[in-house]
Amino acid sequence: MNTVLQTKGLCKTYIVNKHQNNVLKNIDMTISEGEMVAVMGPSGSGKSTLLYCVSGMDKVTAGEVLFNGRETAKLGERQLARLRLDEMGFIFQQMYMMKNLSILDNIIFPAVKSKKNRESRRQIEERGRALMHRLGIDDVCGNDINEVSGGQLQRACICRSMINNPRMIFADEPTGALNRASSDEVMNELLSLNRDGTTILCVTHDARVAAKCSRVLYIVDGAIVGEKEMGDFDGGDKELRDRERELNNWLMEQGW
Amino acid sequence: MFWRILKKDLKRKRTMNIILLLFVILCSMFAAAAVNNIVAVTGGIEYYFNAADVPDVTVLMMFSGENDLEEKIGELTSVKEIRTEHWLCVTSSKYFKYNGKELDNFTNAAGLISDNEMAINYFDENNHIIESVDKGCFYANAPFLQDTDIKEGDEVELTVGNSHLALKFMGRFKGALFDSGNTAVPYLIINSADYDYLDKDEAAHIMNNRQFYVTTSDVDEIRELAKDYSGVYVYTREERKGIYLYDMLSAYILMIISIVLMFTAFVVLRFTIGFTISEEFREIGVMKAVGIGGGRIRSLYIVKYLAITVIGALTGYFCSVPLGDMMMETVSKNIVFGSGNSTLMGLLSAVAVVIIILLFCCGCTRRVNKLSPIDAVRNGQTGERFRRKSLLRLGRSKLPQTAFLSVNDVISSPKQFSIVAVVFTLCILLMTIMSNFALTLKSEKILRFFDVPSSEAHIMESEIFGEVAVDQSTYQQIIADIEMLLADNGMSGKCTMTMGAQFATSHEDKTETVDFRVIKGETNDTLYVDEGSAPQKTDEIAVTAGTLDNLDAEIGDRVTAVINEKEYEFIITGTFSSFVNAANAAFLYKDFDLGHQGASNVMGVQIHFDGSPDKEQINQNIEKLKDLLDTDKVYSTPDYINNFTGMSDTMTAIKQMMMVITVIVTALIVILMERSFISKEKSEIALMKAVGVGGGSIILQHSLRFVIVSVIACIVSTAVLMPISNVMMNWVGNMVGDISGLKCDFDTLEIFVICPAILIGVTVIGSFLTALYTKTIKASDTASIE
Repeated sequence: MNTVLQTKGLCKTYIVNKHQNNVLKNIDMTISEGEMVAVMGPSGSGKSTLLYCVSGMDKVTAGEVLFNGRETAKLGERQLARLRLDEMGFIFQQMYMMKNLSILDNIIFPAVKSKKNRESRRQIEERGRALMHRLGIDDVCGNDINEVSGGQLQRACICRSMINNPRMIFADEPTGALNRASSDEVMNELLSLNRDGTTILCVTHDARVAAKCSRVLYIVDGAIVGEKEMGDFDGGDKELRDRERELNNWLMEQGW
Repeated sequence: MFWRILKKDLKRKRTMNIILLLFVILCSMFAAAAVNNIVAVTGGIEYYFNAADVPDVTVLMMFSGENDLEEKIGELTSVKEIRTEHWLCVTSSKYFKYNGKELDNFTNAAGLISDNEMAINYFDENNHIIESVDKGCFYANAPFLQDTDIKEGDEVELTVGNSHLALKFMGRFKGALFDSGNTAVPYLIINSADYDYLDKDEAAHIMNNRQFYVTTSDVDEIRELAKDYSGVYVYTREERKGIYLYDMLSAYILMIISIVLMFTAFVVLRFTIGFTISEEFREIGVMKAVGIGGGRIRSLYIVKYLAITVIGALTGYFCSVPLGDMMMETVSKNIVFGSGNSTLMGLLSAVAVVIIILLFCCGCTRRVNKLSPIDAVRNGQTGERFRRKSLLRLGRSKLPQTAFLSVNDVISSPKQFSIVAVVFTLCILLMTIMSNFALTLKSEKILRFFDVPSSEAHIMESEIFGEVAVDQSTYQQIIADIEMLLADNGMSGKCTMTMGAQFATSHEDKTETVDFRVIKGETNDTLYVDEGSAPQKTDEIAVTAGTLDNLDAEIGDRVTAVINEKEYEFIITGTFSSFVNAANAAFLYKDFDLGHQGASNVMGVQIHFDGSPDKEQINQNIEKLKDLLDTDKVYSTPDYINNFTGMSDTMTAIKQMMMVITVIVTALIVILMERSFISKEKSEIALMKAVGVGGGSIILQHSLRFVIVSVIACIVSTAVLMPISNVMMNWVGNMVGDISGLKCDFDTLEIFVICPAILIGVTVIGSFLTALYTKTIKASDTASIE
């Protein structure tokens, strides 16, 4: 399988009050096309920083990040923005949306900006509606962002991340602000996208979420200390419980 | 704990607090300067009159002979004191030489006052009372010095008949009862020995002008006495304040500007405070969640704002001193202001700003009570308020994405942006209204308000028409001589003269002294009346609306006036507008003969050239006339009007000041509001960057929002400009004279291109530079935004 994302000796250091804080230390990882990888670790371990660094949202202090073979550090601001717009999708823990736009407009916003697909606004809108239908939120497309539930809003964020058919979706605690039912719905949607071929890198501290991924990376104090191949998840409740138990055991071994 | 939260808050919300501080400074600065203006102008004249020792009544005598009025006044039991001041008369500016050249800068005859006969206090430029003048020296008031570069220490030669004097200029003086306008009478204060030397020359006595300063408890008694004498004018102290109308006018305009600026500062301040509270919903929610009461939380904010307000108000007060001085510069040239009041009033206004802002804070912090602990976890959205924000649809819009976002933002937050639009509209209106005023006050269309018929040239050399001041029947010879001169030199035309004199006029039990005018000479013009019709017979008159009110009369009523000891009855046929002595003024039919009465008010000699010559020909004729009459005081109509009003220059200066203020205020508002918006929209900016929107697009979107608002402001101001200008111009005209139906002129380029371009230009630059701050927000900030 093709490699979508690769890091070599990735380091990230913050200087806070003249104190050096090495958040990421020599991270080497590879993510292949079609994988769904979870990054787990305790609070402050550097999970989110890793996600922001590999997605080009934050600059790395040292090392290389290769996305589709292109070194992101060598790209300018504009090229990075274009890369994020066309090739990447983002889902955040907080359901950030633009308050002056409706749910549908928020979803199609990156597509209108992108020149990747030469579509008319009407076509983009139709595609946006289709995505919303697929995620079961087509009834709220004209609503404002404060008129829907958290689960609906996060699914709208997934639609937005999907609108430009990205090669990879970066999800930072996508279920962190949701209840269990909504969390399951959102993860099922991500699984569905992954089955359709979208590569996903998901930061989470929820074993139930990570259990649905094909591979889990465990990060402590800025370094990947463990990696577990989970295999593909078929979607049954029993399998999920078994995988969750297996993952929890492994995490215990890692010092979770 | 309370103080720790406050300290932390001041530090963490540094940007917002600095913004707030800046606005408090701005607000108190303008408030203090405006209050200073208001107090100085309204109370200033009274203070000045007291300082100058102006008595209850002044009796002005302007005629060549002698009479016993002074003795008669002295005999009245109600009179406590009478002081007399004689003025020697220098009939033309050309009798003064500066650097070997004759002066030509004033049109009236000049008056000379002896330093041992100064009946009231005159002040030098530093507001010190002039006690005496050294021999060979002189002080002069503003009309003598206008358009010259005479400096302190310079020598001016004076010739009166066969007497010559070389006088050294000691400085400008302020006379409480002397008008300082362009067409006012110039006065000089000289040493008594120099005065006595000139007094011996007959030429200095062409007019035996003098003024009695009377302290009395019964003004009417003096008025009754003065009725029996011709060439005598009685003014009360209150009536004399009218000479400061022009000064008051400038001050009132500045006052309006101050109020608008104050309004601007308060509006933006309210927005900033409201915005700060709405930004802090999470902190408020958390505080409520841990059990701190609403009142305690409000007091936390009020204490914070009190600290910011006190610091800002004090800074603003100190900044207001130079601003106030700058605004009062023109007015203070002619008036002696008390210094104590302004400091106290400035401080009081700064305290008032603190109180008003705290009241604002109390009002704004009411929202704290509405916020609940749940806001801390629901991003400030309780779910109870559903106000549709998104009004446009991106998918259906034809606009480019960045433009769409800008337009959508403006439409979705009408309150925020309408505040900015209102402020911008006010700023641009102040600029354009001043432009209209300046243009109108030198426009030929206002010629009729100076009581003269349409004409192309105006002779203002008092030497030529001065005789009418003694006997107005001499106008016939003056007009005939000038018309002959014109015909002999190939520029034939007809001349007219408007003259006037004051007579007691009665309607039923009301009696007023009315200034009667009549146009003599040949003209096709009929008097322009606002209501009714122009007088067609010698027993008909038109009066100003103010005169109608004062006489309690209506059009069609009959009034009686005693003219040259004969009682006349006139029918009021209509009302007219005038800038000149309009409180009580009447226009006679042209055939009415005022006999040998001396004219108190002569508007020069008007020339209407035959054959409708073009502008170039008129200017050539004027130049030729200047040579023939050996004077520079022959003016075209625009110059004549400008010479009379003098306000056009003031308005132009105010307009320029407004342009500077607009640039500053607009820039400040744009910078501070945009900075607030960036702070508020940090999460959206980070999100946009995260999903791949370039920094340039975000900067463009933010700049475009302000450009849209400034364009809206330009459109709104353009729509309301002319109606507002006309209303204000007539209001201003009514302060100076009695005016209605005056329509403003406008400079298309200036008000429709230059002024909007200034506003839009400042907005573009200000918003673009401020929007660059969005560069500091990174896509990864989505992880750390609350």
